[in-house]
Amino acid sequence: MNAVVEDTCESVEDVITVGTHVIVKKQDFSKIYKVSENGILMLGKNQRVEMQEIIGKPFWSTFEMVPLSGNKGTFTLTLTDEIEPWNDLKGELSGCDNRSITDDGTSQRLSKEEILQLQEAGKTGKEIISSLIENSKSFSAKTEYSQEKYIKKKKNKYFKFLTIHKTSILLLHEVYFKRKHEKIGGLRMDALAQMLSYSDVQSDGLHLLYSNGFQGLPAAAMINRIGTNTSGYLINLHPGNMPQTTFIEAMNFPQELRDRHLAVNIYSFLRLHYQGESSIIDNISKKVVIKDTEESHDTEKSSEESEGETMNDEVSETDMEVSELETEIKENGTLLTSDTGEDNSTLKRKLESEEPEIEAAKLKKPKKSANKLKWLLETKRAVDLLSSMKARGLTIVAKEHPLQIAKALLPFLGISRPFVIFHAHREPLQETYMELKQKRNVINMKLFTNFLRSYQVLPNRTHPDILTNDTSGYILTGYLVE
Amino acid sequence: MSFKKIKEVIEDGDIVILYLNPNNMHPLEVKEKISNKKGKIIDNVFNTAYGALRVVSLIGQKYGSKVELTRGWAYVLQPTPELWTLTLPHRTQIIYSPDISFIIHLMELRPGSIIIETGTGSGSLSHALIRTIRPSGHLYTFDFHEQRVSIASTEFEKHGLSDFVTLKEKDVCLEGFGEELKHKVDAVFLDLPHPWLAVEHATVALKKAGGKLCFFSPCIEQVQRTCTKLICEGFIELHTYECLQREMNVQYKLLPILDLECLKHKHTTEDIHKNRKEKQEEKLLTVTQSHSLPGHTGFITIAVLPPTYARKKEIHLQCRNSDK
Repeated sequence: MNAVVEDTCESVEDVITVGTHVIVKKQDFSKIYKVSENGILMLGKNQRVEMQEIIGKPFWSTFEMVPLSGNKGTFTLTLTDEIEPWNDLKGELSGCDNRSITDDGTSQRLSKEEILQLQEAGKTGKEIISSLIENSKSFSAKTEYSQEKYIKKKKNKYFKFLTIHKTSILLLHEVYFKRKHEKIGGLRMDALAQMLSYSDVQSDGLHLLYSNGFQGLPAAAMINRIGTNTSGYLINLHPGNMPQTTFIEAMNFPQELRDRHLAVNIYSFLRLHYQGESSIIDNISKKVVIKDTEESHDTEKSSEESEGETMNDEVSETDMEVSELETEIKENGTLLTSDTGEDNSTLKRKLESEEPEIEAAKLKKPKKSANKLKWLLETKRAVDLLSSMKARGLTIVAKEHPLQIAKALLPFLGISRPFVIFHAHREPLQETYMELKQKRNVINMKLFTNFLRSYQVLPNRTHPDILTNDTSGYILTGYLVE
Repeated sequence: MSFKKIKEVIEDGDIVILYLNPNNMHPLEVKEKISNKKGKIIDNVFNTAYGALRVVSLIGQKYGSKVELTRGWAYVLQPTPELWTLTLPHRTQIIYSPDISFIIHLMELRPGSIIIETGTGSGSLSHALIRTIRPSGHLYTFDFHEQRVSIASTEFEKHGLSDFVTLKEKDVCLEGFGEELKHKVDAVFLDLPHPWLAVEHATVALKKAGGKLCFFSPCIEQVQRTCTKLICEGFIELHTYECLQREMNVQYKLLPILDLECLKHKHTTEDIHKNRKEKQEEKLLTVTQSHSLPGHTGFITIAVLPPTYARKKEIHLQCRNSDK
C-alpha cells in the first residue's frame, strides 16, 4: 500500500504557502508559525531555525535541522524522506529490576563538554544517543521498559526533525493549553467541545457569542463549525475596542467565511439596537473632542485589551514589549539576521516569546478614520441581522459575571433554542442559575463540570497518565421558552 | 422534519420534545393516530404524571410554548441532538453528549467532512455527527443488526436527515466498508466489541491524504489490543481519554449559626432578647453533588493516519515480523 506515494493528489491547499499559519511539531513540542519568505522560527531559548525551505512543500513533510556552520544555534532545514529508525538502539541486554542500579552520578562516562563536542561536530541525534548509551555504565542493567524511557528522554533532547502541519482548532488549542493555558482562560478541550455541542452551532443559522479574552478561541471554534460556503453567521460580541483574533487568524479561514463573522462591541450593539443610529452618532461626536487628545493613549489601550487580559500584569507587560520589538523588526524589513549579539536582553525576550509572528500581526494598528466607519457599519449589520431573525444558539464565555450578559442577550435568542455559559468559577454560574430560574422563561438548566483523564496505553503498562489537569471550569446550559 | 432546520411552529409529522422537568422529557411524533403495542391503530394521546396530552393538538403551536395537560402543563421544544440523546428510544447502549462532543472535537469534524460510523446503534451519535458535517458532508453508518438498521433508517427519514446519511446493514469486521468508500473518508468512528478487526478496513477507507480514527471502548483490554493494531497500520499520535461530566444541583442551604461568643459573659435578659433578633441562620447559595453518578462510560481513543507519502514504513516491517 505504501508504494502509492505519487498518486496522492496534492491540491493547492495541501502545500505550504507564504502568508498562512502552520503548526510546527518537534516531538511533543508544537508551535504556531506564520510562513513568510525569510522567516525564522525560534525553538526554545537558543535555537534559530531558518524556515524558507518549507515553502511549497506538502504538509506533513519532515525536515531535518542542519546546523549552519559558523553561526552557533542557527539551523537551516532540509527535506528528508524518512526519519532514521530508532528502535534498534535498545540494548540486547537488559536487567530484570533496578536492584543493581545506584544513582552515584558516575554512570555516564562522557562529560558535558564531550557531549557538546559531539553536537557541534554535526552528529545526528541518533549517533549522539548511541554514544551516550555506549558510555553509560548502567544502561544494560536497566529493564527493557526503563531503556525505552531513557531513549525517549534523550530523543526529546537531541531529536532534530520538524514536521509541518495544517492548523486546526485541536492543534492550536493544544499549543496554548500546554504552555500558555492562562491565555485561553484554562478552557480545556472537553469543555470547549461541549460548548460547541450545547450551543447547537452548525452550518446554518445565526449564532450569537459573547466572548472576552481567550485569544478568540471560542469564536474560531464556532466559525470552524459554521464552515466554508454555508449559510451560517456568527455574531461575536466583545467588550473592548478590538476582539482578540489570534485563533481566527491562525485558522486561515477563507474570506467568504470571515465575512460571516461579525465582531462587534457589545455596548455599541445594544445602544444601536435600543436607541437607534442617531444616539450612536451623538455619542461619537461627544467623544471626538476627548478622543483626539487621547489618540495615542487609546491605541495603547486597545492593544492591551487584545493582549489576553492576563491576570498577571507582569506577563502581559513582557508580552507587550516583545510584540513592540517584533513590529519594529518587521518595519525594518530584517528579521534579526545580522545583529544578534548586539542586544542580548531584547533577544532573550524575543526568544521567550512563543509565536512572535502572531503577536506582531495582532498589533497592526488599524487606520483610525476608516476603522470608525467600519465598526459602525459592522455593528449595524449585526443589529439588522438580529432583527431579521433570532439567534439559533447563545454562547457566553466570560471572565465577567455572566448574569448581566445573559440577561442582555437572551432577548436575542430564539424561543426553544439553547444557551451555554462557560465560566472558570462556579459561584457566578450558581447566581445566574437562580436568577434565570426565578425569571421562569428558561428551562432545563443544568450546571456541570468535567473530569478528563488521559491514559498511557502500552502492552502490559497501561495506566492513567501521572499528570492531569484539574481546571475544568463550569458550564451552565438551558433552553429559552415563552 | 424537526431536525432539518429551525422551525417556529409545530407541523404534522414533527418530532417534538415534551418537557415536564429535566428528568422527565419525552419525544413525541406529532400525528393523529399511532399504533399501540398490539399493533392496533389508536388516537395519539400521551399520558404524563400531570395528565394527558392529545398530541395532534400541538399542530400550529409554537416551539418553546407552554401546553396544557389535563392536570398541569408542560413545554414543547424543538429537538436538538442533545435533547434527542436524552430522550431517544434505546435499542442499544448509547453514547451521551459529553462523550459525543469530545469525539466530534477529536475527529476535527466540520461541515463537509465525509465520515464513517459503526455501529449505528440507537442513532444517538449519528444525529450529532450529521449536525456537524452537513450540508456538504456525509455520514456512512453501519450496523450488523437488521432491525436496528431499519428503525434508524425510518428515524432519519422522519427527522429530515436522509440527505446527509447512508445506512447499511453490514458486518464491517468481516466485509469492510465497501469498494465505493475506498480512500473516500476523512474520519472513521468505531463503537464495536472488536474494534481491532475493523482497523485495516478503516485504513483503506480513509483518504490518501490521511485522516482520523476514533474508537469508543468500555474495556481497557479492547483499547490495548486496538492500539497495537493501529500502530501496526501506521497510525500515529494515539491518545486515550476518559471524560466524565459531573452535574451539580444548585440550591439554597440554610446553615444554622451558633452564637458561642455569648457564653463568655453573663447575660441579662435584654441581651438574650437582642440575640434572638440577630440572624441564627445563613442562607447559602451552593450546589450539591449526586451521591451516585456515572463513574465510567468508555475510553475514547483518537489516532491520526498521515497522508500516504508521510506514513512510516519501518513499522509495517516490524509488525509483519512479529506476526510471524
